[in-house]
Amino acid sequence: MAILHLTRLKKRYPNGFIALHGIDLSVTEGELIVIVGPSGCGKSTLLRTLAGLESISDGELTINGRRVNELEPAERDIAMVFQNYALYPHMSVAGNMGYALKNRGVPKDEIRRRVAATAELLGLGELLERRPRQLSGGQRQRVAMGRAIVREPQVFLFDEPLSNLDAKLRVQMRLEIRHLQKRLGITSVYVTHDQVEAMTLADRLVVMNGGHVEQCGTPMALYAEPATRFVASFLGSPAMNFLPVTIHQGGVVLPNGTPLALPVDIPEGRAATLGIRPEHLLEATSTQNAGVILEVTIEMLEPLGADMLAYTRLPGLEEWLVVRLDGAHAAREGQRLSLTFSPAYCHVFDADGMRVSMTEAADAKARAVQ
Amino acid sequence: MAYFQRSPLTPWLLLAPQLIIVSVFFFWPAWQAVQQAFYIEDAFGLSQQFAGLSNFIAVLSNPDYYSVIWTTVVFSLSVALGAMSIALFLAVLADRVIKGASTYKTFLIWPYAVAPAVAGVLWLFLFDPSLGLVTALLERLGIEWNHNLDGGQALLLVILASVWKQMSYNFVFFLAGLQAIPKSLLEAAAIDGANPMRRFWTIVFPLLSPTSFFLLVMNSIYAFFETFGTIDTVTSGGPGSATTTLVYKIYQDGFVGQNLGTSAAQSVLLMMLVGGLTFIQFRFVERRVQY
Repeated sequence: MAILHLTRLKKRYPNGFIALHGIDLSVTEGELIVIVGPSGCGKSTLLRTLAGLESISDGELTINGRRVNELEPAERDIAMVFQNYALYPHMSVAGNMGYALKNRGVPKDEIRRRVAATAELLGLGELLERRPRQLSGGQRQRVAMGRAIVREPQVFLFDEPLSNLDAKLRVQMRLEIRHLQKRLGITSVYVTHDQVEAMTLADRLVVMNGGHVEQCGTPMALYAEPATRFVASFLGSPAMNFLPVTIHQGGVVLPNGTPLALPVDIPEGRAATLGIRPEHLLEATSTQNAGVILEVTIEMLEPLGADMLAYTRLPGLEEWLVVRLDGAHAAREGQRLSLTFSPAYCHVFDADGMRVSMTEAADAKARAVQ
Repeated sequence: MAYFQRSPLTPWLLLAPQLIIVSVFFFWPAWQAVQQAFYIEDAFGLSQQFAGLSNFIAVLSNPDYYSVIWTTVVFSLSVALGAMSIALFLAVLADRVIKGASTYKTFLIWPYAVAPAVAGVLWLFLFDPSLGLVTALLERLGIEWNHNLDGGQALLLVILASVWKQMSYNFVFFLAGLQAIPKSLLEAAAIDGANPMRRFWTIVFPLLSPTSFFLLVMNSIYAFFETFGTIDTVTSGGPGSATTTLVYKIYQDGFVGQNLGTSAAQSVLLMMLVGGLTFIQFRFVERRVQY
């Protein structure tokens, strides 16, 4: 059953700017939906319209089957974790967590009991009398979570809750949020611009761009089969390589004339873009009889420990071709490299950036990855 | 250059402009007043005689002095609380305005640029018993207004004029204080089920407390000292002594009555009073301030 249901949800500002161009989305109970996209894509606006902090211009929003378009934030039975935590600086941790219950007239004893239980769950038991400014970033983050959890709402909204933490703490809190979310079965909508956070947390991922939903699905589905060039470029780090190609005789031709045999389903002669991820470019060995071989020169190397990123270029081409090599690879800058790849890992996008479907064989293989 | 930076005299040299101004215009006159309080001087300032505590005894044994203290307390409390609460109310409204916000703010800040004496005269015109605009309106409502005869009305008028004058100052600080409160706190409170009224009293008001405390101190000082010009132009302390505050009585006794000794003794008492009040404010009120 859908807890949260968005039907052609639109947001138009008084100055005429349209932030959301009709969003359709259903969130089922206990699911964690991550909305990801670059700055200004409308993801925060979407979250704020769900919370009731922004009005809805058009379309319908229901929570648990009830239309909530016109309801105040407090009446929607949602809780929100803010990017800057928005803890009340003049209240203790217990005061912060109990504020919503106090506003709803919950008896004092019950408030104390529920706050204590939630604090226990989050490991905040010792800190209940502290003020927010006496807490570390991670602890503040937990208090903000606790303030949401203690209310037992229908839906949790997270607005980039980890972006104020340092890298190490972010990884730790990411795991903690995932763990808590599963344990408590909290239906959540989580907004972030960090694609790693998005991939690791999401049950389903919504990629937004320019006020539209570009694609929605499981993280691996979006990774393996991005519907648009935008999604392809946004997910995965380092980003997918893109090369301009033309369609020729059931395959594609690179600008430098290198032909690649790909079973693409697109009219002859069109311009298109070929996408391939750095991890899918392999060094060709003599024993392998690979179909396609690309001869490139390594121009720069980025050792990351486990991996080594090689920035290479095809002769006569401007675009970088990034290759993920083994961390222990003996590559040197200026060295030549023979690359091969499976057509199954190739993505082709037309001039509008839409994915071009390939014939059966390639598709089946792509699906097997999911 | 290096020598200049390391010399122990450098900090004093840099502090000198401020120290000289404070010494010449504050410490020296204050010291003079303290000295004067222990002497009796003839009306022409030709001879002085040490009088011990007799000036203080003369002031404190006069029952009029206590009625002036009472007037001052009523006046100062009304001015400070009135100016602060109206300013806060206007600041909350101005904070919400989106269109033409800067125009509103400019208009609200204007009264501060008016000199106290001029402000006094403006209010005097409005409430003039025979010609005043407001007087005519009040008459239609069946209220007889003559602050030249009615001490209560006179006190009300100087309070109104003083509040109006100080309101702008408070408004600027309250508006800045309101704008410093992160919007997300109010949004979080809205999601947490607090209605606008409750949001104001449980979130906004406590977070404004540093501003409010600062303004409480500043307004008390204003009400005690700086309202002199307003009182002088509007009522000259009358009728009777209905609007005579401590600072006005010092002026009357010293410069009108030429009794410099008791006037100086009153200055010392007023300094002690305001000093004590500020101490109490810092000691007890500041504890409740949330920084």
